[in-house]
Amino acid sequence: MKLLIADDEPLARARLRSLAAEIAEVDIAGEAANGKQALYLSCELAPDIILLDIRMPVMDGLEAAQHLAALENPPAVIFTTAYGDHALAAFEAQAVDYLLKPIRKERLEQALSKAGKLNRAQLHAVSQHRGDGNSGSRARTHVSAHSAGKIELVAVSDILYFQADQKYVTVRHTAGKVLIEESLKSLEEEFAGHFTRIHRNALVANAYLAGMSKNSAGHCEAILRGCGDTLEISRSHLATVKKMLTG
Amino acid sequence: MKTVKLQKVPAPATPEASAGDLFLPNFCSIRVVFAIVIVAELLAFILVLSSPVGPAGGWDDLSLTSLFIQWVALASAAALCLSRPWLSCLDSRLAVLFSYLIPLAITALTSEAAYWIAYSSTPGQDVWHAQFMIRNVTISSILSAVTLRYFYIQHQWKQNIEAETKARLQALQARIHPHFLFNSMNTIASLTRSQPQIAEEVVEDLADLFRASLADARQRITLKEELELSRRYLHIEKLRLGERLTVAWDLQDLPGDTPIPALTIQPLLENAVYHGIEPLADGGTIRITGSHQSGLIEIAISNPLALHPNIATRRGGHHMALDNIRQRLAAHYGDKGTLTAGQQDGHYQARLVFPAQALV
Repeated sequence: MKLLIADDEPLARARLRSLAAEIAEVDIAGEAANGKQALYLSCELAPDIILLDIRMPVMDGLEAAQHLAALENPPAVIFTTAYGDHALAAFEAQAVDYLLKPIRKERLEQALSKAGKLNRAQLHAVSQHRGDGNSGSRARTHVSAHSAGKIELVAVSDILYFQADQKYVTVRHTAGKVLIEESLKSLEEEFAGHFTRIHRNALVANAYLAGMSKNSAGHCEAILRGCGDTLEISRSHLATVKKMLTG
Repeated sequence: MKTVKLQKVPAPATPEASAGDLFLPNFCSIRVVFAIVIVAELLAFILVLSSPVGPAGGWDDLSLTSLFIQWVALASAAALCLSRPWLSCLDSRLAVLFSYLIPLAITALTSEAAYWIAYSSTPGQDVWHAQFMIRNVTISSILSAVTLRYFYIQHQWKQNIEAETKARLQALQARIHPHFLFNSMNTIASLTRSQPQIAEEVVEDLADLFRASLADARQRITLKEELELSRRYLHIEKLRLGERLTVAWDLQDLPGDTPIPALTIQPLLENAVYHGIEPLADGGTIRITGSHQSGLIEIAISNPLALHPNIATRRGGHHMALDNIRQRLAAHYGDKGTLTAGQQDGHYQARLVFPAQALV
């Protein structure tokens, strides 16, 4: 059984490592110091189980679990936390296990043996729940793209715009483009206040929206900071964009 | 009757609880005696003004009535003063009954004495004797009842105020966050295996911090002790966060014996760790600077700002800690203790200013 430990505190990791080493059939595949690292290592090492601390810098455990759920073969997730995070009660209902620090060896053993039974549906249920609450504060810090067992994470603050195609949404960020399988509508809701709808098929980051111009065909186009791409602004969204730019 | 201390009761005092203390003021104190003299004299005026004017134009009446009432009032006060230790040992109902009966008895005695001195020489005054007695005792019984009621309500009111102040301070008491407790426990659990000696140190530090946080909210400690607690706190966090936390101290000849409410600086450091260092993958430096100028001590704590606004907003409770410290500063120093906080050049800084000398 391959185990990945994700915790930002070196001593907490050391303790989990020594506890897990005493449990038979557990092989520690790796250690991560934050959610982002945990995701990359999950893709690289394909662990069976991940011990995921909830409070971590860069990307917290809850968001990491949300991205993990989208993997082809996600590991079973066991959350760890030091003190009653409000979200824990919900996990109990979803039968996703969590351990309270300092973790008892028996509890860890129990959780690891149970973890095999966890499946993707349960992980999805967690991410659903995470999305539910007050969506404003629960917005992800990253979006993830998956292809051929690889995961690519893009920080939301680096995203210039989302553009919807037939089936995919193109995420244009400061260092390139990735494709994700999410609806523009759910993205718009999740990142409300940070992105503005300018067209039926496009959301633009407020932070990168620099101005607008008219093209030869007489349509309005958005000008983006640090990017030559042109995006059409539909007539119905013109007023909101103008207000954004002047206000 | 035991004196029930209200220390452990956070809610305002209930009538049952406050009945434990004797509600009467201390009749031996000059202020109370003075008040009694004034009230007695006013009563004399009322009595004289309300009776038909005699041949002497009322001044004789006033002096005699005053003399009589002052006698009764001062003698009652003296009796209540002397019997106070005894009264406070009684059941509260008995105490009320006796404090009511004492002025009545003194009125009766004084009336009797006054009758013999003033009227006994004139014969055929037996009816007048009884009337005189009944009249005086009735007035005294009404006034004693009103006065006792007044004292009782005043006592009740005072106790409510006291309890409220105490409750407010208790509620404001700096608390160690549960997050910190459990994280520290985890650190100890980990260290116990690898480095038991350091684990022992952490247990000692944690014990000191909790002692301070559980102590009476009104208690002050010295600046030196508070800085020591802050060092202990940072020692634990440093072990937990490893290389991510760097601490830079720059304290310039602070008067270590200055009194300060316990856990005034430590929560600011906790904020800096929680909101500044923890959200950063590579951590950062917490700077603590202290200076002493023109009677004021200034302690400033700065930490790097979290890069991800998302994470920062997700971690609430920041302003609660600041408000709590502000209110405690106000309670201890009035408007001379201030706490300001804000962002500056990519850093977050909290500035604490308070007088170097003990106040009130």
